[in-house]
Amino acid sequence: MSSPYAVYSSPQIPQKTFEVDPQNPRYQTTNGKTTGPSDYVLNAGQIDRDKPSDPKMDPSNSEVPTYLSKLRMELTGVQDDINEFLTKQMEVAKNKRVKVDTPKQKAKELNEFGEEEIEEDEAY
Amino acid sequence: MVDLNTISPKNGRNYYIALGLEGSANKLGIGIVKHPIKSQLSSGDNSHQCDAQILSNIRDTYITPPGEGFLPRDTARHHRNWCVRLIKKALKEAGFNDPSNDIDVICFTKGPGMGAPLHSVAIIARTCSLLWDIPLVGVNHCIGHIEMGREITKAENPVVLYVSGGNTQVIAYSENRYRIFGETLDVAIGNCLDRFARTLKIPNHPSPGYNIEQLALKCQNKDKLIELPYTVKGMDLSMSGILAYIDSLAKDLFRGNKQNKLLFDKKTGKQKVTIEDLCYSLQENLFAMLIEITERAMAHVNSSTVLIVGGVGCNVRLQEMMAVMCHDRANGKVFATDDRFCIDNGAMIAQAGLLQFRMGDIVKDLKETIVTQKFRTDEVFVSWREK
Repeated sequence: MSSPYAVYSSPQIPQKTFEVDPQNPRYQTTNGKTTGPSDYVLNAGQIDRDKPSDPKMDPSNSEVPTYLSKLRMELTGVQDDINEFLTKQMEVAKNKRVKVDTPKQKAKELNEFGEEEIEEDEAY
Repeated sequence: MVDLNTISPKNGRNYYIALGLEGSANKLGIGIVKHPIKSQLSSGDNSHQCDAQILSNIRDTYITPPGEGFLPRDTARHHRNWCVRLIKKALKEAGFNDPSNDIDVICFTKGPGMGAPLHSVAIIARTCSLLWDIPLVGVNHCIGHIEMGREITKAENPVVLYVSGGNTQVIAYSENRYRIFGETLDVAIGNCLDRFARTLKIPNHPSPGYNIEQLALKCQNKDKLIELPYTVKGMDLSMSGILAYIDSLAKDLFRGNKQNKLLFDKKTGKQKVTIEDLCYSLQENLFAMLIEITERAMAHVNSSTVLIVGGVGCNVRLQEMMAVMCHDRANGKVFATDDRFCIDNGAMIAQAGLLQFRMGDIVKDLKETIVTQKFRTDEVFVSWREK
């Protein structure tokens, strides 16, 4: 049985593949690092009753998860990888924007702000 | 001419089965609806008399602690982690163990609603469709409410008041569209009530609006309404100002701000108004506005019946007030349903989706299953009704 994988590409990153490492505990759980409830609701006193169910084990061999449970665990790990990667990319994008936003640039943007609005209105 | 019998059910059966998946807000609903083939549906305007049977209609609500609303990310997570359990339960309740043979069509909410929860449910719908090889139908959430209300109450051509956490609209049917006669200019009525409930920090279980209704029932000063802004604009209305105002009153009450003469006696400083009074006045004020715009729409289209749908529609006080107004108009009548069908549910999506399916309207490419947060009621071509 092959494991799921994902491929990301963008103008800056031609190709990045996310693959399952069967030995890594990250791909052996249904409880992902990035797919839990948000900190905000936990701090507000939320009790998490929406957890994903634990993996089901094969009835004939309690050591081995069922096909679908194995897939779920591997996807949980890949999802974590993707989420962490995209969060990092967002940070990169944010830092780039800070560099571009020099005072001169900002003043220019402010001057053009009204004009842009009018253009948008006309488009409708 | 409308013929709802042109598409044959699966395996030569004499009935259709639809699975409905709803998750546009904090409720995940799974419903299974059965339509027998009826000769009366081969012509005429009878789409409100399908003899629909609800084989199962299960709902699980994402509830947050008092004072908190529901965030898209956590609501979507709720839907993702509960959907398989609920679908299994619904199938079992309906007595089905071979979905690919038993079900004719899978219907899901395409919009309007919160993006992330809608998206989660669309993924579930696509998965089931591919897994079981069953066609898909994307349903407008508002149309789901209207068609479920019509089927349950048998109201043929009512003015519809659609009141929920995300929508407030007065609707009437004309020439294959449910046309919006009036609507909120800012927040929805359910949102207004929910947010006031958050200010009061009352529980969100079973729903904030229900708890406000219960508090309002306990009001001891029903003859002394607290004056609130009354903001009807033609057939539209506005509620954000009312919310801001009553929020400030509640905060003054909690803080014990004796400067507020509306809440505390000028001389003695004694509290004149309770939380229950505020809830009562808020309900009376908001509902009076709804009744006014509904009556105006009824006068416009010369109709004497009203159908109330949406989560706020199960508020008994709203139904009472609407009945008084309708009674004053000749032969007026109010149609409403209880919480099983008023509050978001899967059966309503199955009902509207099955009507679409029977008119041959199915998803031909998975691209069409992309959900949309903005999807107005009048964008849908209602092929299952006569002009």
